[in-house]
Amino acid sequence: MSALRRRLVPYWLLGPGAIWLIVFFLVPMYYMARLSLYSGSFATGGFNFDWAWSNFPDALSANKTQIVRSFYYSGVATLLALLIAYPLAYAIALKAGRYRLLLLFAVIAPFFTTYLIRTIAWKTILADDSPVVNFLQAISVLPPDGRLLATPAAVIAGLTYNFLPFMILPIYASLERIDLGLIEAARDLYASSRQAFLRVTLPITMPGIVAGVLLTFIPAFGDYVNVYLLGGTGQAMVGNRIQSLYLVERNYPEAAALSFLMMAAILIVVLVYIRIAGTEAFIGSEEEAA
Amino acid sequence: MRATGQARSRIRSVIAALAAFGAVLALAACGGGGTVGGANEGPATTAQGGKATGDWTFSNWPGYIDPGSNGTIARFDKSSGLQTKYIEDVNDNNQFFGKMQPLLQQGQSGGRSLFVVTDWMAKQMHDLGYLQNINPATIPTVDKNLIPRLRNSPLDPNRQFSIPWQSGMTGIWVDTSKAPEIHSVNDLFKPKYKGKVTFLTELRDTVELVMKADGVDPATASKQQWLDAIDKLNKAVDSGQIRAFTGNEYTEDLNSGNIVAAVGWSGDASIISNKNAEWRMPTQGCTTFSDMMVIPVGAPNTAAALDFMNYVYEPKNAAKLAAYINYVTPVTGVQQVFQKTDPSLANDNLIFPTTSFLKKCTPNLNPRGGPKAVAEVTNAFQNVITK
Repeated sequence: MSALRRRLVPYWLLGPGAIWLIVFFLVPMYYMARLSLYSGSFATGGFNFDWAWSNFPDALSANKTQIVRSFYYSGVATLLALLIAYPLAYAIALKAGRYRLLLLFAVIAPFFTTYLIRTIAWKTILADDSPVVNFLQAISVLPPDGRLLATPAAVIAGLTYNFLPFMILPIYASLERIDLGLIEAARDLYASSRQAFLRVTLPITMPGIVAGVLLTFIPAFGDYVNVYLLGGTGQAMVGNRIQSLYLVERNYPEAAALSFLMMAAILIVVLVYIRIAGTEAFIGSEEEAA
Repeated sequence: MRATGQARSRIRSVIAALAAFGAVLALAACGGGGTVGGANEGPATTAQGGKATGDWTFSNWPGYIDPGSNGTIARFDKSSGLQTKYIEDVNDNNQFFGKMQPLLQQGQSGGRSLFVVTDWMAKQMHDLGYLQNINPATIPTVDKNLIPRLRNSPLDPNRQFSIPWQSGMTGIWVDTSKAPEIHSVNDLFKPKYKGKVTFLTELRDTVELVMKADGVDPATASKQQWLDAIDKLNKAVDSGQIRAFTGNEYTEDLNSGNIVAAVGWSGDASIISNKNAEWRMPTQGCTTFSDMMVIPVGAPNTAAALDFMNYVYEPKNAAKLAAYINYVTPVTGVQQVFQKTDPSLANDNLIFPTTSFLKKCTPNLNPRGGPKAVAEVTNAFQNVITK
């Protein structure tokens, strides 16, 4: 009896999570999958289920530009976030001393304001007559009539800014746990600082980097708020297309098909990435966990 | 031993996942089926009048009423003894339709007794059986005070299901310190304003104005002429001429000096702080829109909604509303109220446009050719906006 009960414990523990996943993930996924196979239109009296697989190639070919653009914008934003986040996390974890908590707080503080408000604030910062733009024009980075707002640069900057904490925190967590003795040992064995970093610090923090890249890239890819608020014409991402298809064009099947394709695309990218980075980098090695 | 144990647990977990997925499919299959996005098949109903009590819910656009303890809602609650739940969740006709459609198709209104949408959307909803009819006998004050110009509309002859809330004009907001010479919508396409102009995301405002600028009358335009105007916008997007397609946000761009001109609404003066900004009637005329109060199917407490319609059609109440929101009021007698209280408002062409002022203007229309043509034009326009 007690043996049986003990064997059931893991399932009881899984229960709430499993129910949550079924209700809020599997069920909506099922309906979305079903919707993506409807055909018809509002104009002809509604949509009916008839295995319309053609919605998928249609959604792909009609939105190719925006899909490619989404990869480009979110890819650049992820790279920039990594380049900014790593040195920052390094400094906080290893060099900040007693200011560590304060700096960590500074990283998290923007979360106390909503995402929308923070993005709208960027509209003011990057406005055509703002000091930032005037300065960039003065040093000839921007042409005299150039602008930042309503350009791809503004969208990428917005994405980078908004998802930066998701990059910083996992990298910080992996840096903070690092055993400094390992770096010292590398130095004792005549490694230069650069070698010690590349061969010791970087590999140890790989799980943090992989997690940070995924946590940044995935939401950035599907984001549509930054384009809406900071972008201009000809800069729509997949999220903007899905929104338009669902709410304005009311082409529910194509919207559902496009959502599915987007998920599939992200899944493939993530799988390839984990394949290259290694599952150990992603979930930590089993020995370490055990 | 460890490896086999792991393998076994992995197989078990895959089976469990498959079983869960299967259960979900079976569950969903029972409830699935039917048409999505169709009409409400229930019989057409007429909103019930009578003595209203209790609470009721009114959905409106943001900033479209005078707020506060002396505002329209507060005064209505006080005089009627009803409790109004006022929510501002209409931001865009199409998006609101997208949100409400699944409910309305089932004959439900999500608790709303009344909401405000633009006239063409009211017509679209009515055609799908999503709205209740309104008996004139239950709204005597509206019947008495509705201005003659709005009594008959091609979209709703005899005001069977939609009662005007406010009207307005769509024209050009110009920053006179930067581009004083802009008067026509065609001026917005001039290369010297490249990246400094915005248009609206509302199909009927933007595209009708572009057609008018090119001498095409939207009232008689063919589907191809709509598509030609959209193509003109598309080219202007490709060349970088048009900075953005916006809703109310163009007002921020005008305030912060990002743009020199925008296609925009006459009533937005209250949210534009740029002192040099001026609303101009385009050389070839404006477009006009009328937002309608409508009672959806399944609406609770329709008597309260009808009482509210009567209340806002009392000239003194309508005057308070018009003085705050600066749109065109559909109520007669308001101008007379202003002549006593605030003569400058009484002579404001944006609140009381004269017939000659509106001579060249066109109402928001549906592209001709039925729902299919409307969908084709809408999609073409959306493809330019989300390019």
